[in-house]
Amino acid sequence: MRQEWMFILFCFCVAIFDPAGAWATQVHAEPEGLYSHQLGHGFFIVSMGVFIYWLRGRRLVRHKGWRYLQYSALLFVLWNVDAIVVHHLENQDDLFMKFSEGTLHAFLQPYPGREWVTVMFYICKMDHVLCVPAIIFLYLALRQMIRSPHEFSPRDVERP
Amino acid sequence: MTLPIFPVLVVDLVGSGLMIFFAVACVRLSLRLYGQDRENVLWVYLLMVSHALAVFAVSRGVGHIAKQLLLLGDYRYLWDVLRPYSGSMNTISFCVVGAVTLFFERIWKVYQQILRDRRALQAVHEELVSLNKRLEDLVSERTEELKRSEQKFRRIFEASRDMIAVVALDGTVLDMNPAGREMLGINGLDLQGEGAASRVSFGTFCAHPEDWENLRERLRRECYVSDAEIDLVSRDGREINGLFSAASQRSIMEKMEIFHFVVKDVSQRKAMQKQLLQADKLASIGQLAAGVAHEINNPLGIILGYTQLLIREEPEGTERYEDLKTIERHTRACKTIVEDLLSFARRSPTRKEPASLHDIITEVLSVARHNLEMRRIEIELHFDPEVPALVLDKDKMRQVFMNLIMNAQQAIGKEGRISIQTSLDADRRHVRVSVADTGVGINPRDLPRIFDPFFTTKSPGEGTGLGLSVSYGIVKDHGGEILVESEPGKGSVFTVLLPLTAEHSGPGEPYE
Repeated sequence: MRQEWMFILFCFCVAIFDPAGAWATQVHAEPEGLYSHQLGHGFFIVSMGVFIYWLRGRRLVRHKGWRYLQYSALLFVLWNVDAIVVHHLENQDDLFMKFSEGTLHAFLQPYPGREWVTVMFYICKMDHVLCVPAIIFLYLALRQMIRSPHEFSPRDVERP
Repeated sequence: MTLPIFPVLVVDLVGSGLMIFFAVACVRLSLRLYGQDRENVLWVYLLMVSHALAVFAVSRGVGHIAKQLLLLGDYRYLWDVLRPYSGSMNTISFCVVGAVTLFFERIWKVYQQILRDRRALQAVHEELVSLNKRLEDLVSERTEELKRSEQKFRRIFEASRDMIAVVALDGTVLDMNPAGREMLGINGLDLQGEGAASRVSFGTFCAHPEDWENLRERLRRECYVSDAEIDLVSRDGREINGLFSAASQRSIMEKMEIFHFVVKDVSQRKAMQKQLLQADKLASIGQLAAGVAHEINNPLGIILGYTQLLIREEPEGTERYEDLKTIERHTRACKTIVEDLLSFARRSPTRKEPASLHDIITEVLSVARHNLEMRRIEIELHFDPEVPALVLDKDKMRQVFMNLIMNAQQAIGKEGRISIQTSLDADRRHVRVSVADTGVGINPRDLPRIFDPFFTTKSPGEGTGLGLSVSYGIVKDHGGEILVESEPGKGSVFTVLLPLTAEHSGPGEPYE
């Protein structure tokens, strides 16, 4: 029994650290990782959207804690949209050129006619402007819950 | 147009740090929330989201910081190794957050169901508490009622003048009230105690052992017995006429059959009934004797008259004269008997006048004293000076006391003592004269018959058996009573109770 577990662990390590040598039934080439990541972002957007819709449907947003949670979800949605856009544009070869990459003086120079897209990429690249407030709202929501757990977790709220 | 990367770099580094900081803070808060109420599934959801976001924030933040630092340090190849792991971890962690959030609606419904169940449970719990309280109140109330009932019946048990006893099937007395203990003379016995000394068998108090067996059999057969008369004998030898009411009960708890007895001491009532019967009997005999005596008295008078006429015409000394004398003597004897019978039946005329009882007794004693002294019989007199003069027929009362003293003398035979005592009753309505002797006493079997006419225990020729009957008749004629107490071998006490007339019911005036 112990030997079987050791074998399974060995296979797992090979698959993780030497994916090329794994005897997979299908080869997972590079774009697949990007697509699954993008799909993950999409899934995140859907789940957060459903969550917001659901919070509003049950009128839970009347309470401060739930309202913060709603803001947090909304910001996460925006951040995911931002992330999808950035990931998409990052993989385009005809938008801009990078100079002095790997230094503090690095800069981007858009190809002619691609300026506004490059500017959008440049702005979207600062995605923390969205995800940090999102997690701060989550923090505020949790703090509000600690202060008034019964208000946040009402015992009489049910869909009419 | 050039766009510097430096601002992006700064935002990336600072933002990553802030993400890590707030993600860890969120984990701490969600842990605190979870600690407050571990059964709240909302907190579980937030705990999972916070942890997944923390993993995401750390993975992404560390990845971004590492990326910037490695690229600045010209270690691109290292970043190329790390990048897939960081990216995969990011993907997995926000997918987990998304998945958990998608299940939030289900979690919320579960939470609502739990709340409903909890409310229902709370309602049931409150109802149970209320029922329990009511039950406790009810038990308390019933216990109080039971206590009051127990006290009530305990009072009845303790205060009853009749015996109440609980007896086992084998006759062992399990409990008995004070009246019963006194009746049976077992006052000091601890019936509830352990050991053979405290065990008393009820059967041993029955005068006739077969009565106990019969009673027990009846109880087992019929379960109850009412108004059964059974004679008991107390520890000190006193005879008791008991009127039994009893019931049997099978105790389920103790798995044994027990009897409950209520015993009334009817000795006094029985004695009174005997006295009433005796009085009735004597009244009937008196009526009969009076009728007979009245019918015989006239022919006897005629026989005596003609015999006396014949004697007057017959010279003395002849055989015929002696025969007539014999007829006259026996006729006179018959006449005396008839007169005695009439006295007993209270048909003879009386001449009542105020007289001193003490004088009458003294006169009788002066006549009988010689005879008594010859037989060495002492006389003790205890005259109560409070006794007033009574209205009575002196001759007849003299006859009563003469009969009593002569009977006492005959009961003593030779050597003994006769005590005569007079007293005034506490209620000052009767004068009591008792004549006590130290003679042979009267057999208990003869006691009910001693006032019957012609009943005698003396040898033929020594007495007619009319003395006490006549005395009884005379005392009754004076509105009094004559009572007797006797113990074979120790002597007898005859007590004459004479009523005071209305004028004597006040404080008596001593006449001596």
